[in-house]
Amino acid sequence: MKRLIPLLGILLTLLPLPQAIAQEVVVHQKVHQEEISRNTLRAIFGMRLLKWPDGRAIKVFVLQDDHTTHITFSKSILHMFPYQLRRAWDRQVYSGTGQSPNEVSSLKEMSEKVASTPGAIGYLSHSIEHQFETKLDLKVLHVW
Amino acid sequence: MPMVKMEKILFIFCILTMGILFSEGKSLAMLETLQFHGFGSQGFILSSENNFFGKSKEGSFKYHEVGMGASIRPLSDLQFSAQMLSRRAGAGDRGNIRLDYGFMDYKLVSKASNDFGIRIGRMQNPIGLYNDTPRDVAFTRPSIFLPQSIYFDRTQNVARSSDGIHFYADHRMGIGDLLYQLGAVYADVDGQESKKVLLAEVPGDLESRLSYISRLMFEQDGGRVRLAITGLLLNAQFKSATSPQGRGDIRFRPLIISAQYNAELWSLSSEYALRNFRYRNVGPLNFNITGESYYLQGTYRLFKTLELLLRYDVTFQDKKDRKGKTFAARTGRPDHSRFAKDATIGLRWDITKTLMSRIEYHIVDGTAWLPLLDNPPPAPTKRYWDLFSVLISFRF
Repeated sequence: MKRLIPLLGILLTLLPLPQAIAQEVVVHQKVHQEEISRNTLRAIFGMRLLKWPDGRAIKVFVLQDDHTTHITFSKSILHMFPYQLRRAWDRQVYSGTGQSPNEVSSLKEMSEKVASTPGAIGYLSHSIEHQFETKLDLKVLHVW
Repeated sequence: MPMVKMEKILFIFCILTMGILFSEGKSLAMLETLQFHGFGSQGFILSSENNFFGKSKEGSFKYHEVGMGASIRPLSDLQFSAQMLSRRAGAGDRGNIRLDYGFMDYKLVSKASNDFGIRIGRMQNPIGLYNDTPRDVAFTRPSIFLPQSIYFDRTQNVARSSDGIHFYADHRMGIGDLLYQLGAVYADVDGQESKKVLLAEVPGDLESRLSYISRLMFEQDGGRVRLAITGLLLNAQFKSATSPQGRGDIRFRPLIISAQYNAELWSLSSEYALRNFRYRNVGPLNFNITGESYYLQGTYRLFKTLELLLRYDVTFQDKKDRKGKTFAARTGRPDHSRFAKDATIGLRWDITKTLMSRIEYHIVDGTAWLPLLDNPPPAPTKRYWDLFSVLISFRF
């Protein structure tokens, strides 16, 4: 039986992992916040709310529009379609009333950038391959 | 405020920004917030009758837009933005390079539930759903030509941006966001086409007077539902070219109600406007009329990169004279110049993220929004006409 356990472990890692099942909102460790409302989160990712309550600038990081994690995050956490976000950014960028978020090209880059940029906010998928990085210097925000 | 002064104001803003940059030693952090954007589009227009942006009866390429802009955020509450634009639209807009907008945006209050701020400079006018979408960027428009009943392209210069001051307040609540803007501005009324449209054949000049603009918008679920009401009070003074005492004024007072629903694959938009025009002693012109406009528009994403557009767009210059009969009898000009009904079908193809192409077909009854400089009176216009257009556009 004891021999079977590592074997079972190997088998488990071989199983196809469901991609991006759950999403987590992550922030830089020094952001003084443990939880956040969906409304506030929408204002932040919509690039309308630019400051944390302590006055620090918010740095928003997003993946590309067609990235699975971006789509899932947008739909399941923000309850918005990705094209709505893109439109909101376009409206602000091209009319000069706001700026676009920082775009990263991978989940790895996302976790690195959020961990190393003061005031940063982003999101990660909760799958096994990234949970190690998530544990780095990031803080997970509880969304209510 | 004369429009030329804007460049000077912007220059002062830049100096101030540099001051903040060096005095606080935040240059590096600040430069990280510097963002550039740009766009360009080229259209081809073919019409069965009447000319729309160039000699479109023979096929016209005289429709293009190029713009470039930048923004920087030295403090999280302070942003400077500017954009240069060159637009060619037939005889009415000849492509000269101009400052489309350039302003300072300062947030006095910035909280999770409330924002209150001020913008000073030249800003795009917050009108309805699309004026500050913004309308010059083909990517952010729903079609090649916006519904002309409300977003008249022939007098775009008047509507697009204006100089002055805007206050804005955002209130975020559980059920949605309330976004309010109020502006005291001077509009650009001395463009060639605008003058032609506003003054007809009366010789003289128009000068902008203090005008007001206000929009209240409600957005639910980050824009799934968008409702807005816009009010404008646009004033211009008329100076006769023939008699020094000949002064008058034009007051334009539109009220626009807007609604939009955005689902995952489709969007439905509709706007209704009452447009009140009052002319007092503008040469021989003295009148007070109210025009009526509305459209219903649906878009559907057939595939990820292909979107279908259907729209029906109606405008009446005088809602008491919808068929233009009274006008025709009084002026001898065609009755069909007082209304326009436009059925449009269009397709948008997103070739890449930065390259997009569009094609659309309009079946039009009436010439209410036909550019006058492309169809100089007394050249005859036709009541029934079709308009076809293809456009290619890029952005960064």
